[in-house]
Amino acid sequence: MNNKFKFITFAIISLFFSKLVSAEVAPGFNSWDDVKAAAEGQQVNVYMWGGSDAINSFVDDFYGVPLKNDYSITLNRVGIAGTIDAVNQVLSEKEAGITEDNGSIDLIWINGENFWTLKQAGLLYGPFATGLPNSKYVAWDNPAVNLDFGRSVEGMESPWSSAQFHFIYDSARNNYEDMPRNYGELSNWISNNPGRFTYIKPGKAGFVGTRFIKQIFFELSGGHDQWVGPYNDELYTKWAPKVWRLLNSWEENLHRSGETYPANNADMHALFANGEVDMSFTQSPRGAGPTNSSGTTPLTSRAFSFFKNMIGDFNYWAIPYNAPNKAAALIYADLVLEPILQAAQVQPANGFCCGWGIGTDKVTNLEGIAAIKDAQNNLGDAAEDQGILAKALVSDIAAEYQDKIEADWFANVLLK
Amino acid sequence: MSGDRLKIILSLTSPLLIIITLFFGGIFYGLLQSLGYQPAIQKYDINFDAYYNVMFSERYAKLFWTGLGLNLWVSFVSTFLAAAFALFGALAIRKTFFAKTFCNFIYSLNLPMPHLVVAIGMIFVFSQSGLLARMSSQVGLIGSPSDFPILVKDKYGLGIILTYVWKESAFFFIILMSVLQSLGENFEELAQSLGANKWQRFRYVILPLIMPSLFSASIIVFAFSFGAYEVPALLGISYPQMLPVMAFEFFLNPDLNARSEGMALSIIIAMIVMILVIIYFWLIQSKIRKN
Repeated sequence: MNNKFKFITFAIISLFFSKLVSAEVAPGFNSWDDVKAAAEGQQVNVYMWGGSDAINSFVDDFYGVPLKNDYSITLNRVGIAGTIDAVNQVLSEKEAGITEDNGSIDLIWINGENFWTLKQAGLLYGPFATGLPNSKYVAWDNPAVNLDFGRSVEGMESPWSSAQFHFIYDSARNNYEDMPRNYGELSNWISNNPGRFTYIKPGKAGFVGTRFIKQIFFELSGGHDQWVGPYNDELYTKWAPKVWRLLNSWEENLHRSGETYPANNADMHALFANGEVDMSFTQSPRGAGPTNSSGTTPLTSRAFSFFKNMIGDFNYWAIPYNAPNKAAALIYADLVLEPILQAAQVQPANGFCCGWGIGTDKVTNLEGIAAIKDAQNNLGDAAEDQGILAKALVSDIAAEYQDKIEADWFANVLLK
Repeated sequence: MSGDRLKIILSLTSPLLIIITLFFGGIFYGLLQSLGYQPAIQKYDINFDAYYNVMFSERYAKLFWTGLGLNLWVSFVSTFLAAAFALFGALAIRKTFFAKTFCNFIYSLNLPMPHLVVAIGMIFVFSQSGLLARMSSQVGLIGSPSDFPILVKDKYGLGIILTYVWKESAFFFIILMSVLQSLGENFEELAQSLGANKWQRFRYVILPLIMPSLFSASIIVFAFSFGAYEVPALLGISYPQMLPVMAFEFFLNPDLNARSEGMALSIIIAMIVMILVIIYFWLIQSKIRKN
């Protein structure tokens, strides 16, 4: 513990001095003008999950156009099935000895364990995030921003947007007032509505399911505060058996008696849309809005949130160590933090699903403030009250819990 | 003489090179990773930890052994049923011109259909929210769609077996038809003139003649269904889970240490198929020698 502290102090001090000596905005660039000059005419290869047409066209329209017009940068968006694909590619390039500027990926849409994997293996370029001019809008003092799944970001990735766990119900089947508002009420709801609830199998493909379980730990143990910070085995072992007992008590009244669980969000939405279960999960501040407009959930779907312990997190852009166009990647990472464009990604009409990547209170120019207000007023009736969501917001916890919960859920719930 | 030999060696070199580099290269690399050799994360030790973890650790043992059981069950049953359906189908219709053309056409349509598409089709038709469930509840056969029997995403892999039987029987059928056609009817007529009845003609004349091709087709189907990922991924459940799906989940883990376990499991799958194929060949060989 003490050593760790010493190390961090040392790291901060050395970082401070290295900044003084070279005054870099990012490794290899002495000023933002340098970055702009180097980026001109480059093509930025953006690797991101490509499963949503709405997000894809948002990126093409709102980033591709200004990149071309203002910076002469060509946007090459590469859709991938999962972020892990990009991680694997960087890893393979490393194994194949492709270094310096000879890689193929400039930016990866990333967070959580994928980020940790690349950071741990030294496969990221940076630190660059705090050197971006628009970094002043980012709430770096918020642990939900500067810790990614409980692990320090240290400028190796820059935020794009945010998400928060809550629920979807169908207003044609259920009333808003009747929906449960904490896990205790959910337990009663499940026994009163046998077969009408299930949750996503915790695992690498279903981290939303893991999140659903983590929140039970918070509620049963009486609060989220004690879970912040490094992994605490004593705390975990104290509460885990109680969580498994609760989940097992649900089992007989779950969809198909808990014999199988949806593997990911898409499976869960499909069960919900088919009328097999009455709730689904969402991560969007617009609630059921994005899935309603894409036809994944019935048009009458709405959102509701528990009053406490709803985990929210940020997602980021990271630059691989061998990115061929680092300057253009920096311009892109900076551009997405523009308050106007941030407002555009929340604005429902633009079809993007996610929330703010910046702290909206840090924006001071009038144009930006107006755009932010307008976006917030337009969230629509498929969204939960933003005040309820904000009050329920808690940060995610150390990544060790994730693996622990997934393994133990398998052993204590699925295999029971 | 030596010129011929040189020619043979030269003409074999390029295909052999491709096979050795791509196939054995891949296997070798996979084997290394399964033994824990991962230079990317500075792991250079060779050990069997990953194999032990997958097969005997508290965390994975139950999942592995039930998965293996399910794998064997699904592969054996679907290979056997597909072969049986195709065999009796082919025998029944081979002499009627119209049915033969028609079935050949239908089965040829089935053959190029990707397994993925067939699996999705199974969900649409046979799941509890599928076409059949909704239709039967509409006409009052069952109370609500959820009363429909669980045929896909079920414990016993019924949906998976159904998909493989449907897809693979076409494969068997086309192979059998071509063999039967090339045999002609001489043998049978001869047997008939010697007084053999229908069953005897099948058992002692046709079956021995088509057995070699039936066997090799079975090997292909068995090996395929044992190692294929997409159908069990779509139609399987969380537990028990077929081995290829389990292996893939290791690769989804961003923790690079899990990659060794994924590779170990893949190697285990490959080894099991290889051993079974060898036993198979050995059985056939000894049978042929006996005859």
